[in-house]
Amino acid sequence: MKRMKKNRRKRNEVLTAYGFLLPNLVGLTVFVFFPMIYAFYVSLHDWNALSPKVFIGFDNYVEMASDKRWWASVGRTFLFTLIYVPALYCLSLFFAVILNNLKQKYQSIARTMFLLPFAITSVISAVIWMFLYDPRNGVLNQLLSSLGFDKLEFLGSTNQALVSIVVVILWINIGYNMIIFMASIKEIPKDYYEAAKIDGASAWRAFRSITFPLLRGTSTFILIVTMIASFTVFDQIMVMTSGGPASSTEVSVLYIYKQAFEFLNMGYASALAVILFLIIFILSLAQLRLYTKKG
Amino acid sequence: MKLRKSTITIFAIVCGLLMLAPIYFLVVGAFKTPDSVFDLSLRISDFTFDNIKQVFAETNIVRAIFNSLIVSVTVTVVAMLIHAMAGYALARLNFPGKTFTFGWIISTLMVPFSVIMIPLYMVVQNLGMANSYLGLIVPMIFNAYGIFLFRQFYLEFPKELEEAAYVEGLSIAGTFFRLVLPLSKPIIVPLTIGFFTANWNNYLWPMIINQKEELNVVQVALANIVGGGYETEWSVMLAAALISAIPTFILFFIVQRHLVEGVKTTGIK
Repeated sequence: MKRMKKNRRKRNEVLTAYGFLLPNLVGLTVFVFFPMIYAFYVSLHDWNALSPKVFIGFDNYVEMASDKRWWASVGRTFLFTLIYVPALYCLSLFFAVILNNLKQKYQSIARTMFLLPFAITSVISAVIWMFLYDPRNGVLNQLLSSLGFDKLEFLGSTNQALVSIVVVILWINIGYNMIIFMASIKEIPKDYYEAAKIDGASAWRAFRSITFPLLRGTSTFILIVTMIASFTVFDQIMVMTSGGPASSTEVSVLYIYKQAFEFLNMGYASALAVILFLIIFILSLAQLRLYTKKG
Repeated sequence: MKLRKSTITIFAIVCGLLMLAPIYFLVVGAFKTPDSVFDLSLRISDFTFDNIKQVFAETNIVRAIFNSLIVSVTVTVVAMLIHAMAGYALARLNFPGKTFTFGWIISTLMVPFSVIMIPLYMVVQNLGMANSYLGLIVPMIFNAYGIFLFRQFYLEFPKELEEAAYVEGLSIAGTFFRLVLPLSKPIIVPLTIGFFTANWNNYLWPMIINQKEELNVVQVALANIVGGGYETEWSVMLAAALISAIPTFILFFIVQRHLVEGVKTTGIK
């Protein structure tokens, strides 16, 4: 009798589990897993979205090899990442340490100030900074003029546009990453610092030998997440420059977007997306290892 | 030492003010006349509500904010429910294929949205969901990250409560919905904030999947106002940006405390 009940319970458990998982299994299959496979399938075709697909094997990949504009966009994406990721990392860690030293009252005021840009969406941030960057009368150029410097073109210059966009994205993200660092710093036992103080260690020394090593897990997490995000950067660039001037801000996702939805080269754009995936895949593997280790 | 602490405090507050400066220029610019929008000095005579009125009169920003609310709220509510269910099954229930299922779900984390946007667009169009709320909402619900974090939470959830419920004769599903889910607030709150803001912020997907003007979400509507006409005055664009920013500003001050606490649980937006 008891055994039968137990068996029924077990069957019930299996059924409930499948029932609980069903919506997600269906959804993830249709909206993530299938599109991934389908992207590769489409990439083997010549297809402009209007006429039927024509199978062309790996021709799209061959074409890509000599597509200078594509490789330039990949290079630009790496450049963006190379500027953005270290800058975000250093600035958010720096301010986390600074704010952590403040009295509670000032700390929460300063934290709110740093975090408020996080409430701004990427499109709004783009609008605000286009205003600040205005080449003729923008706030930043007025500031430069009053300090006796020449005005800058910012978004209108092929040399300055990409860095100008990095600044905008830094602005909305520093606060949030700073908070992640602050949460981890608070977990470091106070005794460590007191011991360091007794030994006569300077603040910089204490940071180097206590704070920094103990933040390794958090650092890895932030670096990987930020890196993947910067490889897929799109919003601000689309709004602020659409890739210009003279393609100087055309990153990979933007180029894929244009190939697919402006030039309607769905097959070719899919091939580009597959390659972008392979690039990000390596980074994601690292992220995955991080998650499963946590679990 | 005391002096040094106050120096650090002043430095931090000054940097904080610099972080706020762009928002200050947004707010002030939205209320200035078109001729004085670049003028940094504040004069009462430059102050006007005309920009705000013009945005309300000439653009459909209010409708766009409404659309964004519908999309973000629906995605978040449905996602919380089904991700909690899936996370619970993966953490607590035993069934054949559990390890594989978990591995498969988590492997979808490695697929960035921009990589699948083209085939996803085709899938959604073939399902007849393009240019509709469904197309804006449904594909955004499924996200392994939510499942993963719910699973983490339920792995550490005390078992005794559920055992007591079973003794009382409650079914597994009943136990989950009546007992476990209401006690999941510590994970639901940060995830709700994360899902809502991510979807409110979403720009690329709505731009791809919807061409109907009346279904534009606020990010797309604002981008159209800015990119649409070279004629548009900066004061009007700033007013439109300010109006679009108000919902998230309000939300920010309501949830700020949770945002800070939630960082430890989710560690991501």
